[in-house]
Order: sequence, then structure tokens, then C-alpha cells
Amino acid sequence: MLARADKLRLMQFLVVDLAQEEGIPLLSGDAEYPIWTPLHAFDAADTLLQMLQTHQGEP
Amino acid sequence: MTTPVRFAYADTAASRTDGTRLAYLPITLSHGTHVLAVAGLLDTGSTVNVLPYPLGLQLGFVWEQQPTQVHLTGSLARLPARGVIVSGQVESFPPVELVFAWTQVTDVPMILGQVNFFMEFDVCFFRSQAAFEVNPKGQAH
Repeated sequence: MLARADKLRLMQFLVVDLAQEEGIPLLSGDAEYPIWTPLHAFDAADTLLQMLQTHQGEP
Repeated sequence: MTTPVRFAYADTAASRTDGTRLAYLPITLSHGTHVLAVAGLLDTGSTVNVLPYPLGLQLGFVWEQQPTQVHLTGSLARLPARGVIVSGQVESFPPVELVFAWTQVTDVPMILGQVNFFMEFDVCFFRSQAAFEVNPKGQAH
């Protein structure tokens, strides 16, 4: 009889092994996944708006 | 009054399922004598427009000559960005000035965000039909 922790490890091993065999990408805790959307970049927005207003105010 | 122009969502991955289609807008950017026809991702969650490094070079910008530093967030925060202004034209609409955060990141799509693309254009999404419509600001019926 396996301990609960070992059962979990076995399940995890089987899931990863099956996914690799099937070529299904899984999220990994060690990997970084980029999110390109600059959410809440309000300082950048203010800077760019000011830059645009200055540019449009130039003769 | 102008009539909105309708565009179809574009496939972004080899597996062409409905979930991989995104709203990419064909747009012509120009700076000086440099003209570039590109597709920008309409990203309502993005606070700013983002120009990938290679596209900035193709538009004739020189990194060291851009004095305005811009601090981006998320994955784009790891590399510096500078402010640049280009002319952008969608279809036959009048060109408008678009301000971009020109990032040194290379593997990012060109992003059209709130400042200032969505301040210049009214966009209506019809995601269930995988389509969107674009009109210059102030032209809505």
C-alpha cells in the first residue's frame, strides 16, 4: 500500500509521462510564460501622451 | 461620416481552431521616408501601443536618438523601451499620429492599445462572428 504522498507522485509521473508521449504541452512550475500585454502601465501611458502632446504642439 | 471597415480575425497558430484566432488589424506605419505595412494586435487590455524592436529599425528609428524612456509592465518590463511617434493609416481612413513604446524585445507582436490607438479609432468586436469593425473616432452613427 502506497502512502498518500507517493500516490500523488505516481499520478504526477503518469500524467507527465502520458503528456510527453502524446506531445501535449503541460504548464511547468519551473518555466516562465510571457504575457506581453502591458497591463496597468499607467506611467508609460502618461509619458507617451505627454510626448505626443508636446510633438503635436510643435510648429 | 465614414462607414466602418470590417475585418476578420486572423489565425495565429498552426492549429487553426477558433480559439487561436485573434484581432489583427492591417495598418500602414510611416516615419519619414520609411513605410511599413504590418498587422497590429488589437489589445484592449494593453495600456499603450507597443512596437517590437525590429519594426522600429525598419521604420528608420535609431535607439540612441530616442530620448523618452518608457517603463513597461509584465513580461516587457525586463528590457528598456523608448517612446516613438509614427503616422498610422488604416484602409483609406485619414492617417493619424500614433505613439508607441518601442521595446527592445523582439519576439512580441505589435500591440495596438489604449494609448493611443483606441483613443483614435472606435472599434467594435463581434467575436462570435470572428470579426471586428474599425472607424475613425467621432464617426459613429
